[in-house]
Amino acid sequence: MRRLLPAAAVAALLAPAAALADVQQVLLPGPTPYPTPSPPLVTGGAPPWATLTFKIHSSTDQRVRSGVDERGRVVSVRALERLRLTGTGDYLIVVSAPVLDVRTGPGSESQPGQRRGQILWSGFSSKRRLLVSDAKLHPGPVRPYLPLRLESSREGDRYELAVTNATTTSEVAFQGTGLPKELAVLLDRTRQDSLAHRRLRPAYVTISGAISQRPRQARISAPLRVEGRLRFPSAPSAVGGATLDGRTVRFSFVLGDRQQLTRRIEVTGGGEPKLSLEARPDAVVRGLTPPGGAGTWSAAVALAPQPADALLERLIETRMELVRSDQFQGFLSNPDQLGRDRTVYVYETAAAPHAVAGSTSSSSGGDPLTVLLAVGGAVVAAGAALVTWAHS
Amino acid sequence: MRRLALLLAALALLAAGCGKGSSSDEAGRLVIAVDVPVTGSPYVAQTIRQGVELATSNLNGGGGVRVGSKSYLIKVKLYDNHLSARTAVEDARRAIDAGAAAIVTDGTGVDATWQLAKQAGVSIAITHDGGTGLVDAEARPNVFRIAPTNHGIAFRYAEYLIPKKLKVALLSDDSGYGREGAADIGRAFASNPEAVALKLTLPAGQTDLTPQILRARRSGATALLVWGQPPTIASALSASRSIGWQVPVYTPPTGSDPFIRQQLADHPEWVDGLTFAGGRLTAEVGTGPFVNFQSQYEATYGADPVGVKNSEGQAIVQPPEFAMYSYDFVHVLLAAITHADSIEPGKITAALDQVTTQGANGDERGFNEHNHEGVVDDDVYFARFHDMTYQPVQDDPLSATLPLIPQTRSQ
Repeated sequence: MRRLLPAAAVAALLAPAAALADVQQVLLPGPTPYPTPSPPLVTGGAPPWATLTFKIHSSTDQRVRSGVDERGRVVSVRALERLRLTGTGDYLIVVSAPVLDVRTGPGSESQPGQRRGQILWSGFSSKRRLLVSDAKLHPGPVRPYLPLRLESSREGDRYELAVTNATTTSEVAFQGTGLPKELAVLLDRTRQDSLAHRRLRPAYVTISGAISQRPRQARISAPLRVEGRLRFPSAPSAVGGATLDGRTVRFSFVLGDRQQLTRRIEVTGGGEPKLSLEARPDAVVRGLTPPGGAGTWSAAVALAPQPADALLERLIETRMELVRSDQFQGFLSNPDQLGRDRTVYVYETAAAPHAVAGSTSSSSGGDPLTVLLAVGGAVVAAGAALVTWAHS
Repeated sequence: MRRLALLLAALALLAAGCGKGSSSDEAGRLVIAVDVPVTGSPYVAQTIRQGVELATSNLNGGGGVRVGSKSYLIKVKLYDNHLSARTAVEDARRAIDAGAAAIVTDGTGVDATWQLAKQAGVSIAITHDGGTGLVDAEARPNVFRIAPTNHGIAFRYAEYLIPKKLKVALLSDDSGYGREGAADIGRAFASNPEAVALKLTLPAGQTDLTPQILRARRSGATALLVWGQPPTIASALSASRSIGWQVPVYTPPTGSDPFIRQQLADHPEWVDGLTFAGGRLTAEVGTGPFVNFQSQYEATYGADPVGVKNSEGQAIVQPPEFAMYSYDFVHVLLAAITHADSIEPGKITAALDQVTTQGANGDERGFNEHNHEGVVDDDVYFARFHDMTYQPVQDDPLSATLPLIPQTRSQ
């Protein structure tokens, strides 16, 4: 189960372990649990249920499009989820999300249903089936789980956009004395999985002596590859943190993976820009690059001894980062716990909201004031009629 | 003065009525109206009514439905619509006046009754007619259906027959059912005109369809898809077999109607090979849930005899398919009442979009805000007759996964 394992439980598991054995095998982070309950999105109320028998597997490709206002605040969210089923049998899938409306997406071989907080799929898969939903989501409940935080500001003709990795979380980690050679092998294996964009395989590390909780929680972020552009009405005169291409300012960077978690793009002149940005959870590359130009961690350790505690710390933290990255690959849930997920997060300048007319007419007459007046009027009229009748 | 006293008494009664009401120990009454063609189509009427009554008697036996601190026993009120839309409107008015929480119907007159029911917040559940347009979650938010849809059957037939490279004669009778089916089947085959040999309307009620069947044969048809009432299907089968044409015949769910087998009882071999589409009677979990339901149904009402025997002399019975649909609706309605925690029809209708229950066949039954169909297109399967009983075909991926439902009883 890809679910949160509370930090307290980890600590509780570690405490007795310290006293038990001199040498022990300790499970490393990954592929699960995820450090926080969301993503994938969950909604309140009854827990989502679903049936997807072992005969059917599913993978997802998702595109989460956020509309942002002039300050960078997310004001609308649409999520396109392509669920690919393989296998033959019945399926009943419930995707939990704060859904405002859901429609059939392009290429879908069935139509999604909608309930409060749920997107539903039901039917029969004959070998394979593609289910595509295009859902409009409530931005409020979704906002905290989006991987980027954008802030844009303007002072005179100077415009600044700050792009921040918002996936950072704290996790309990353990420390102990590992074997450098084994740690190097585990780092190499983790690196192979990372570079191949594979989900981590479970792995154990040998620890001699006492195991304890690290005094400080590890601060973990999913590496995010960000590519975007700002299109200005006229060509800006100066740009910082990006490249200028006529009226377009382009930028591309990774937030996390031993790099800054916030990047700023500063532009002078050009007017009000339109933003278009894509972010993808990425592999850990820098964090797993062997030192000294060595091809592998094993080679690096053979060339020059590396402190075991530093190797263990790096192994744990990079695996946590990969787990966090994997968590953001599935923004909406996949009914197959072992299924592959890929999510692209798109941020675009939202169209300015249309001005709302001062008064609207309603044929149903159902607004609260109308109802109140109608009820009040009826009561007064009925009372008057009764009194008149009683005195007649 | 006397009138003033009367007024005060009336106000006091009114005030009492506005309060919490009767003691929580006393069970209330909740009405489900069943509006079916008792005198127009007795088999359909009986099976729908019995499905509702079976579900409600089970629920009442368990103490009824609990809302807040009070229990409610469910009362079934039966109305006969005579297959007449006009009568269905009168029935709907009477059911609403009787405080019905929902109206379960075969589908007669729904085009005329849904607005009436909507004004009262009352939901309508269709458990027989698959007509396209009867159910529309946006335009008719109070209309629900648990029965295979014509649209779903038509598209499943296109999916099933086109890969077989057959030249299909699309025959439909001129009943309302036939006309609606012809429209759906026409749309389903529209992208593959090469698969259609002929489109022909048959006169409903005519016993000799030999001229029309001969015309279909001359058109080069290698299969017949006959969308019509049971007598039309029986006549089409009779005409084709009597001229020695062993063409495969496909039909909508009416192909499983006992009437056809009764009509052709003297020539059981003419029924062999008849294939019909219907809603699956079993889920992936197997036959267990449906057989349990069938046993309970037969223990209460007895088996529905088809009126024919197989070659071994065993009596043939009809599985209670449509009873299952009305039975399931009552359970979904109960889940909605519990979800809404209210017996107000409007709140119950709104809650019907939010709940799912396990149906009598082990499958999930429920509706949602976008879809008020309780039998999805993927639940449509195909079955073929042999020796007066039918079993799922093996050349369709869904049907091939379904087990055989016992349909014989020893004498």
